[in-house]
This record gives sequence, C-alpha cells and structure tokens, in this order.
Amino acid sequence: MLRIRNLNSGYGKLQVLYNLDIDVPTKGLTVVVGPNGAGKTTLLCSIMGIARVFSGDILYEDKSIAGKLTHTLAQKGISYVPQMGNVFAELSVLDNLQMAGYLSKKEDAKAKAEQMTEIFPVLKKFIHRKAGTLSGGERRMLAIAMGLMKDPKLMLLDELSTDLAPIIAEKVMMEVSRLRDELGITILMVEQMAKRALEIGDTAYLLVSGEVRYTGKADELLNEPELCSMYLGIKQADDKGSSFTLSATDEGSDQG
Amino acid sequence: MAPWMASGLIYASGLALTAGSITLLYITTRTFNFAVASMATWGFMLAYTGVSLYGGTPYVYLPLVFIAGSLLGLIAYYGLNRHLLRRNAAEITLMMSTLGYDLILLSIVQMFADYLTLTYKLYPRRVMLSAHDFQLFGERAAAFILPVIAIGLLVALHIFLTKTKFGIAMRATIENPVLAGASGINPDRVYMISWVISGGMSAIGGAAMAMAITGTPVMGMNTIPLMFAGAILGGLHSLYGGILGGFMIGLTEYAGVFYLSREIGPWIQGYRMGIPLILMAATLLLFPRGLAGIPWAKLFGNLFSRKRGDN
Repeated sequence: MLRIRNLNSGYGKLQVLYNLDIDVPTKGLTVVVGPNGAGKTTLLCSIMGIARVFSGDILYEDKSIAGKLTHTLAQKGISYVPQMGNVFAELSVLDNLQMAGYLSKKEDAKAKAEQMTEIFPVLKKFIHRKAGTLSGGERRMLAIAMGLMKDPKLMLLDELSTDLAPIIAEKVMMEVSRLRDELGITILMVEQMAKRALEIGDTAYLLVSGEVRYTGKADELLNEPELCSMYLGIKQADDKGSSFTLSATDEGSDQG
Repeated sequence: MAPWMASGLIYASGLALTAGSITLLYITTRTFNFAVASMATWGFMLAYTGVSLYGGTPYVYLPLVFIAGSLLGLIAYYGLNRHLLRRNAAEITLMMSTLGYDLILLSIVQMFADYLTLTYKLYPRRVMLSAHDFQLFGERAAAFILPVIAIGLLVALHIFLTKTKFGIAMRATIENPVLAGASGINPDRVYMISWVISGGMSAIGGAAMAMAITGTPVMGMNTIPLMFAGAILGGLHSLYGGILGGFMIGLTEYAGVFYLSREIGPWIQGYRMGIPLILMAATLLLFPRGLAGIPWAKLFGNLFSRKRGDN
C-alpha cells in the first residue's frame, strides 16, 4: 500500500532521514522502532507532508505523494495520529470527533461519532467535555477514535504509548491490533514501547540515526539480542531462553 | 449621556472592530496586519463617497464597505500572505509585508481622494462624516447604532465560530494547524476567510471612527497605534479580548481627556493618545496576558461571595 524509496528528508536545511526504503503491506501492521532521535516521528511527518522531502519518493497506492499538502493526504484516506497535540484541547470531545470527520457529510459524521463512542465507551461519558480536561489514556483513545473517523485505508500512529501508565499502554496496544485484525486497516506504527509493539507487529524496521538497520519480521527482531540490547533497551533474561526483560527505557517516551 | 460619552462610544466601536480584526488575523495566520490602517481609511473613504454622491446616511453604505474591505483582505492574502505562509516565513517578514501593502493602499487612497476632488469637486481630505448622521433620543444616532453594530458583529462571529462546521474548523486550525490538516481541513481556506472577515471588520471600523474624528486619507495611519494598543490590551490571543481592548482604549481616551482637561487644564489634549497607552501599560504590568488573561469568573465570584457575606 505504501512504498518509500530512497527517502532523504528533514526540517529546513537539517537532514534527519537518509536513503530510507520502507514497505507497508496492505492490511498489515508495520512497526518502526528505534532509540530516541532516530527519526521515527520525522518518517511519519515526511509521509504527511509536514517534514521536507529532499529526495526520493513516497508511493501510496502506486502514486507519488511526496511533498503533498497534509489535508490532501487526509482526503486520500491516510489518517495520522500524532504523538503530541493529537486532540484539539479547546474543543469538546464531540467537536473533536466531528472535526476528524470533517470530510464526511454531516449525517455520516454524526453516525460515525456514535459508532466511535460504542467502540470507546469512555468517550461517551465525556462527550461534551473539553478534550484538554481528559486524562492521558482517555486522550489517546480519543486520538485513535479521531483517526478512525475518517474510515482510513492507512493509519499512521506515532508513539501511542507515550506518557501512559503501563496498563493503559497495554490496552492501547490491544486496540491497535484489533484495528488490523477486525477492521482490516493497514497500519504504520512508530513506537518506543518496542517489545510490545514487536509482539503485535507483522513487519519491523529498526531505525537508528536516520538509517534503517534492520528489516524483517517483527518477532524475529526480538531474536536479535545485540540489536535489541544496543538500540531498544531490551535485554535477554538468560543466555539459554528466548525470553526477554524490559529495561526502564522500554516504557519511556521520546520525540523520535 | 455625559458630554464625552457619545463620541467616545462611536470612536470606541470603530477601534474595537479594528483591534478585533488585528487579533483575528494574528491568531489565525501569525500576521500583525499593518494594512489595517489603510483598510480602515478605505472604509471611511467609501462611506464618504457614498453619502456625497448618492445621499443617505453612512449606515446605508456599511454593507458595501464591508465587502470592499473583504476584497482588500482577499488581495492581501492571495497576493502576499499565502505565499509567505507556505514558505513558513518568520513573523517579522509577515508583518513587514503588510506594511508594504499598507503603503500601496495608502498611495491609492490618496489618488482616489484627488480623483474625487478633480471629478466631483469633493474634498475628502477633511471630512466630518457625522454631518450626515441623524438624531436619536437627543444624541447622534451613531452613539447607539455603531456600538450595536460592533457588538452584533461580535455575536455573529461568536455564533459562526462555535455553531458552524467551518467556524469550529477555524478554531481547530487556530489551535493545532497540523492536526487540522491531518483531519482534512484545508488551512488555506481558513486563512483566506480570516482575511475576508478581518478586512471587512477593519473597513467598517474605519467608517465608524470617521463618525467621531475628522476623516482624512491618513486617518488610519494616525490611529493605528491605538488599534494595536486595543489588540495588545486584549491579550492578542483572544478575539473577544481584542474587541473588548479596543472598546476600553477608545472610551478611556475620550473619558480621560474630558475629565483630565477639567482637572489639570486643556493642555492635556495634546497628549490624548498617551492616556489609553498608559492604561494599556498598567494593565499589562498587572496582567501580562492582557484582558483575556484576567480571571474574570474568579473576580466576579469573589465579589458576589463578599456581597453575600456583607448581607
């Protein structure tokens, strides 16, 4: 569905990503992991036309979208859930959902918003409250609901687990895998909570200093002790087993 | 009505609209619009042309004035601002570009004034637009009509921003342009509409001010410090604060001059602009976020609870 070829991009004159090749298969969950400052968020910003593409190409359904304006990509069915600022804090939960369904007809957006409150019942309780007053977990649920309001073909999820309590982060991850399994949505997820993301993902890319260091099946990356230990803070529990323990950084957050 | 109040209300209504227009553009496009001065002057000039050539009161021409101001806003957006915003220009660049546009509008307004003089024998370089007003309850009608227009526009804007899909999309874009774009909202359209509304408000503001002060082709240039003072007093990030700030600056100037000239002498007239600017400085020292940053609900809450205690 999405193919990135030889992508070089960044902000202003600052280059962050170098010669990136990434494939996001249809109806799959592709995970991009990496240490702080690896360029994970920049990757999503480059796709969404927020960061500047210096060279290379981004193909969505075989058409180039490199450098296109953000709102035109939303019209093509790409939904982006940013890490920070992913809800309109000054608007009510209902207005947030309706803005997320801005491209739909009024009746369709209303029906879709109702559907979202069924999928995420917690939102129903606070439907007329300002989004800025919600807790971190509730906000993240609202952000995902907003992403789904557009009936997306492709969802770009940026560090959904940031700042969330582990139990809430786990819930959010479950929701993500449900989006793929039950709704058949293609997902490109950038994640700092690497171990859990790799467990639910299909394909994985390890991004380090703006370059791809690993491409392959997500669960197989967990069997690369050196990469896991050096870049993801995941350490082997013992030499014999294939089980791993989480280090403190595995549940941390960054701007990518 | 106190002697200063009629003129003060008329002038303050005009200032409130121009200060509101500055604030609206700043919160949507990060642009300090210096061209508000000439847009306001154009508003006065068109109202004057209307009453001089076709008769009636200036109010009849206000819809036309609004449309003309909106067109000036559209030209500013598509000719300048849009290109600079797309290049992510710095605020200073955005601001200076509007200064250039203001100078162009100022030159054209001077030419238009000469054209009126040469062709129609009109003299728009010193105009008392209030001469075309009528009396209402023993006062100039403008003292009632213009505050109602200013408040009416504010209410209409409030309804537009809170009840309509596009208005909510405007607020969403103001708060988070990236997320708004990702939601499919075209920020280009939001910025364009901001310029249209802002241009219209500036032009009506100029026509309103000319009902209180002498209208000249440099009227906007002379009053722009107070237009910005109103916007800054309002806190710059709140449309309602900007409009309230404009009202306060205008009323303070007239009330201050009236009472101070009675108390300390008529020489204070020469420093009339200083009075509202002192008020602005004092307010910002106490409340750095301007009128919008004052916890009004808390203040009124304390006042009421104290009253209850007294009883």
